[in-house]
Amino acid sequence: MRLNVTVNGEPRQAEDVWPGESLLYVLRERLGLPGSKNACEQGECGSCTVYLDGTPVCACLVAAGQAEGREVRTVEGLAEGEALDRVQQSFVDAGAVQCGFCTPGLVVAAHDLLARVPEPTDPEIREALAGNLCRCTGYEKILDAVRLAARR
Amino acid sequence: MTVSPIGREIDRVDGPLKVTGSAPYAADYRPEGLVYAYLVQATVGRGTVRGMDVSRAEAAPGVIAVFTPFHPLPLKSPSGESGENYSALQDTAVRFRGQIIGLVVADTFERARDAAALVSADYTVTPSRTSLADAGPGVPQGLVQKLAPGVSSIDAALASSPVTITTSVSQHAHHHIAMEPHATTAVWVDDQLTVYCGAQSPQRAAATIAARLGVEPAKVRLICRYTGGGFGQRSPVWNEALLCAAAARALRRPVKLVLSREQVFTAIGHRAAVRQTIRLGAEADGRLRALSHDSDGELPAAGGWQMMPGRDTSAVAYRTPNIRIDQRLVTLDTPPTWSMRAPAEAPGMFALETAMDELAVRTGVDPVELRLRNYATEDPVEGHPFSSKYLDECYRVGAERFGWSRRTALPRSQTDGDWLIGMGMASALYPAWRQPASARARFRDDGRVAVASATSDVGTGAFTMLAVVGADELGLPVSSIAAEVGDSALPPGGVGAYGSSVTTSTVPAVQAACRAAVKALVQSAVDNPRSPFAGLAPATVRYRQGRIEANGRSVDFRTLLRTMGVPHVEAVSTSAPDKSASQYKFHCFGAHFCEVRVHRLTGEPRVNRFTSVFDVGRVVNAKAARGQLTGAIIWGIGHALLEADPIEPDGRFAAASMADYLVPVHADTPEIDVHWLDRPDPHISEFGARGLGEIGLVSSAAAIGNAVFNATGIRVHDLPITIDKLL
Repeated sequence: MRLNVTVNGEPRQAEDVWPGESLLYVLRERLGLPGSKNACEQGECGSCTVYLDGTPVCACLVAAGQAEGREVRTVEGLAEGEALDRVQQSFVDAGAVQCGFCTPGLVVAAHDLLARVPEPTDPEIREALAGNLCRCTGYEKILDAVRLAARR
Repeated sequence: MTVSPIGREIDRVDGPLKVTGSAPYAADYRPEGLVYAYLVQATVGRGTVRGMDVSRAEAAPGVIAVFTPFHPLPLKSPSGESGENYSALQDTAVRFRGQIIGLVVADTFERARDAAALVSADYTVTPSRTSLADAGPGVPQGLVQKLAPGVSSIDAALASSPVTITTSVSQHAHHHIAMEPHATTAVWVDDQLTVYCGAQSPQRAAATIAARLGVEPAKVRLICRYTGGGFGQRSPVWNEALLCAAAARALRRPVKLVLSREQVFTAIGHRAAVRQTIRLGAEADGRLRALSHDSDGELPAAGGWQMMPGRDTSAVAYRTPNIRIDQRLVTLDTPPTWSMRAPAEAPGMFALETAMDELAVRTGVDPVELRLRNYATEDPVEGHPFSSKYLDECYRVGAERFGWSRRTALPRSQTDGDWLIGMGMASALYPAWRQPASARARFRDDGRVAVASATSDVGTGAFTMLAVVGADELGLPVSSIAAEVGDSALPPGGVGAYGSSVTTSTVPAVQAACRAAVKALVQSAVDNPRSPFAGLAPATVRYRQGRIEANGRSVDFRTLLRTMGVPHVEAVSTSAPDKSASQYKFHCFGAHFCEVRVHRLTGEPRVNRFTSVFDVGRVVNAKAARGQLTGAIIWGIGHALLEADPIEPDGRFAAASMADYLVPVHADTPEIDVHWLDRPDPHISEFGARGLGEIGLVSSAAAIGNAVFNATGIRVHDLPITIDKLL
């Protein structure tokens, strides 16, 4: 199929897409947006979290065909020009980035949490981000980053 | 005056790239003409592939090639390098379930995966050896023994001790679960190969790939600027990366191979399953007379890491006149094993520190006091003094910060509603290792200094370490340093990111390179006819905070280089340990204190809080250090409560994904109070850093297990400590 999808505000097209391939594959391999990461392909780890029509989803679990005509926002689309989004800046400032592979998904998940809950409690943060694995296990610093972003 | 950044909270220099998704990892490259490969793996535990039917796969849409043992990609046999002991597709033997028996290449990933599912194989199956318990005891590999004069054997020393403890513990296979699955993008241009592939040791990996492909080492460049975790599993080169490079060569086009998580579980090594027995003999007051540590570790027939959990743990930890460490390896038909963060030390110290807690219970001596009564100031076997050891201070500071004095020794004596509360502690140690290392410092005419070393930043903070040390040495802001790692084309001598050794080894090399580069810059300033300092004696010219000064003139290096018309001035230096280092035993130390709660009715164990204090020498970057230490402690939560992959009789791992193999998540982690003593090691290097990437994991599981005992009165010896064992 020819896939029409709006990504980070821009209408994009991809040709010869098998409707069953994942949105993650389309983003990474067809549209040149490798920020969203593939780490489990089964929705366990959250590394591929993107917004689909404003709702965070695991891009590995969304079929390309399901994204037809919809809006996707990835980690590449969070910053306003050169300025990092407050969540991104807070991840840097709090030391919440280590190997960085889980980071794009966590940044999107945290961005969504703060959009829904501007002042989350610690248990709310832990619960909201429990679906995002970090094997450097920087969870304490990630918590700090979300607290910091909430204050900004 | 520039304030030194050493030991401060410094932001990662690679942070902005990583939070925007713009740091390229191995699978993020898309060279022109790229095609995709997918593995086919054996579905029996041991035997021979009699034949394979690839016709349906070859006829599938988009398929470019199917490689099997009957239509192989040529690879040389391994010759001495570590890792698997065979090359994939070169014979029809099946050594373990999940061994690579085919590679399908197609125009898209989905088509390659689909076609791989169409490949079928016929096998002759032979029974697999998969049970550590059934196949052991293993073959002794590393016997360490020291007996006091007149003592005939360790058994005699134990038999004559007033108090004896025998503790047997076991753990199943562990997986590293680096978030980035193994991925390779291989690109040939004429006879020059560039491999994008996560590697802990880029230069060693490039050399291995060259040797196995049968090409000159200079023809292979490996790039791993950003790597999504290592933890040991990216130390060797595995067959998958070799096949990807070989397929790209055969097909004359770039090939990308990304493993699924399930494939990583078998195609890439795991931490060996291991069973251990500790026997302690002590006086009534807890002073040790004898320590015996036996282990049987899994060693796959296909090759792998040798699990030796007693050598750097029980042979070092406590003062005792009699020690015997008997480490045995049991050959099994399992997927390859490999080192995993604190590879032998985490299981070894779980065993020892569990036994020490049992000794504390038996003798009625407080666990901290028991460890102080057995405090070692020298290596108990070799007799070398420790280079620097403040473990006693770790105990004292940790106990104070944690509130250890509020603990009651009697199990089940503290409750909070339906939760039983328990406190436990354990001591940690990990060998410090300084390797010879090299680095390059380059003054550039854009006003920055590039500091490079061919090591790898697998999330540890090596980029930032180079920037911090370079900035400190040159009197510049951290932002003026451009750090480079993760490229085999950097000057030879970069160290591998393993053994917690990168900082220990590389800091002295960076310091030496910066000093040599300053010298070269000064020399250039007096030699170059366009320089304002031309003709001066080098001794009269000085470098200070990025400026060259002499005769009342002061010029920044950027202006100087541009005036001279020289794009850069650089130096490469190598730094190695002093000969005097052999007189010392180098170790890092730590003390963990942990509070758990266990639900009275459901048996659910949760970690409430952790305090850990470390003696790791001098710290380069507090922010990165805290991340490493805290992360490793949380790995201990996984070790104690979650992680296990039992192997079934047919050679199949019981867990094959992140849904089955549990690792700690946000909701599992408590507040963790990490503290370190700032005591530079005076003997390891001028700088005094000893490395801290792994020690946090050592014994954190034991502290949890000891706290669970204190909460419940139940001692769980077979990890992980799950609900069923606490009911």
